[in-house]
Amino acid sequence: MEKLYKFLKYMFIILWTVFIVAPFLWAISTSFKDFQSVNSKVTYIPWLDFEPTLEGWRVLIKSPARGGVDIVEPYFNSLFVTCTASLISIVLGTLAAYALSRFTFKAGFVRNNDITFFFISQRIMPPIVLSIPFFIFLSTIGLLDSLIGLVVVYIVLLMPIAVWIMVDFFNRVPKELDETALIDGCNPYQAFYKVVLPNSIPGLIVAGMFCIIFGWIDFFFAFILTFTEVQLLPVKVVALNSSITPWWSLSASALISVAPLIIVAFVVERYLSKGNLSGALK
Amino acid sequence: MAKIDLSNISHTYNPKDLEPTYALNPFSMTWENGKRYAILGPSGCGKTTMLNIVSGLIKPTQGRILFDNEDVTSQKTENRNISQVFQFPVIYNTMSVYDNLAFPLKCRDFEKNKIEERVQSVSETLNLSSFLKMPARKLTADQKQLISLGRGLVREDVAAVLMDEPLTVIDPDLKFRLRRNLKEINEEYKTTLVYVTHDQNEAMTFADNIIVMDQGEIVQVGLPKDLFERPKTTFVGYFIGSPAMNLFEIQLHTDNSVKINDTTIKTNTNLSKLKNNNIKLGIRSEFVKVAKDESENLVEVNIQKIEDFGNFKLLTTKMGQLTIKSKINREIEIANDKVKLHFPPEKCCVYQNNKLI
Repeated sequence: MEKLYKFLKYMFIILWTVFIVAPFLWAISTSFKDFQSVNSKVTYIPWLDFEPTLEGWRVLIKSPARGGVDIVEPYFNSLFVTCTASLISIVLGTLAAYALSRFTFKAGFVRNNDITFFFISQRIMPPIVLSIPFFIFLSTIGLLDSLIGLVVVYIVLLMPIAVWIMVDFFNRVPKELDETALIDGCNPYQAFYKVVLPNSIPGLIVAGMFCIIFGWIDFFFAFILTFTEVQLLPVKVVALNSSITPWWSLSASALISVAPLIIVAFVVERYLSKGNLSGALK
Repeated sequence: MAKIDLSNISHTYNPKDLEPTYALNPFSMTWENGKRYAILGPSGCGKTTMLNIVSGLIKPTQGRILFDNEDVTSQKTENRNISQVFQFPVIYNTMSVYDNLAFPLKCRDFEKNKIEERVQSVSETLNLSSFLKMPARKLTADQKQLISLGRGLVREDVAAVLMDEPLTVIDPDLKFRLRRNLKEINEEYKTTLVYVTHDQNEAMTFADNIIVMDQGEIVQVGLPKDLFERPKTTFVGYFIGSPAMNLFEIQLHTDNSVKINDTTIKTNTNLSKLKNNNIKLGIRSEFVKVAKDESENLVEVNIQKIEDFGNFKLLTTKMGQLTIKSKINREIEIANDKVKLHFPPEKCCVYQNNKLI
């Protein structure tokens, strides 16, 4: 019975792994193919089934001689927008969350929980509802089709996530910790950054991870709020498609788009397995 | 190291309500420099509120707090130079044990040598020397509580060390030793120690003075002996001592005697000014003895139960509807179902409206 259980368990893990890894293997293999190897017969293994080529990767970098699409600039645009917006969201979100967790607010019928819900409610609306207000807002202040404009919008999108995660996290940091720090001689600001913040690193990492993921994968707002001056990676990747689908360059761009998230996942996983993150999220 | 005056302090958590409920009713008290105080009372009686007011975590709704005659009511916690230990271990997870202990000194810009010396000394007292370099989060719950305690004791110049049931999570053996250590620290450094507990034995063995609280009210302040022998209210009689004080509804008889059912009991209290309503007689089960050759203050009772606790026997007896408990020497043999108990007059306390006469 136990052997059977073990067998089934490993079978399941293997199947699941194949399920997860197969698209990546497919994308890696496809990214080294040319038109011929994709469209003629089914091929799998480089050098045996088909002759690998770097064409799919090369078109991603613009060169005057050959045209190409250039996803390098959108790539760095995306990095800049995601990282800046995440950082600002985390800083502001953490401060807001700390206040919401530690102080009591009253304004009419509004209490702490209502304020927290107000933050989260920003993500409840379908994004399309926000598109026109954002568009008008950015065009009014002249930030349409600019990196800064995107950063502003992304902060609006990411901060609720940061607030939500961090409020929950701070609520589970006992308030005696702050009080002890005060008694030990810190002023409230020192108590926050010397004691509470170091204790909240796991929460910050989780919040940061979510912000980066949600910022990085957003297509909708990047598509609506930019035209020609600035483009973000997801928009550019979609734009690669044409009447003849360039599977090879699409695969290559998909791979490098996922790369940062995989790196984030590995870093966090190491941290997770060290046990430092235990209890960060229920 | 300071004398702490609490002057007309009261506190409510809902001051804006029409009828605020008071967690602490107005009171005044002085904590003398270098003494050990225990605050004793059931959960929710305002003990922790009182500590938090002294440490400045809560600003009292009313009243003033003076440290050595200096008004600190509006001073912030970090400027009050007080240390407080909470019921559950509060440690700085990200720091080593050493850094945890050194934190209060570092925050106050002590010199490095001084920090080193104090941390060493405190860690020796608390048996933490061998863990100093370990990350604090890797220690067990009771070791963590020792760190909290250590952080409370590491500064020598504090006005007072406030402890909110600090030994709850510590095992009994160590608890006993730590209580003795705390006493030694108090005697050596003359630190004022205030110790909140709901365990009467802890309070009795630790403190010079015990403050008994109930429902936001300070019911009695006194030496362990006073609390035991002359509880000022029936609550104190009931709360302190195990088993609780025997209490009976009684009728006044003469100027110094009362009647329980039909039995006359003499007391040493002058009862001439009392009216006959809600009068109770209280006597500790320790003072109720099986009668030998006494001729007065005898109560005839039926024995319900005899429990042998090893060092004493506890008699549970009935006199009509009234239950009387008596702690007697374990050598005394009880042969009959009926026995006569003796109430020494000097040990009988008379209460009107639950207050001692």
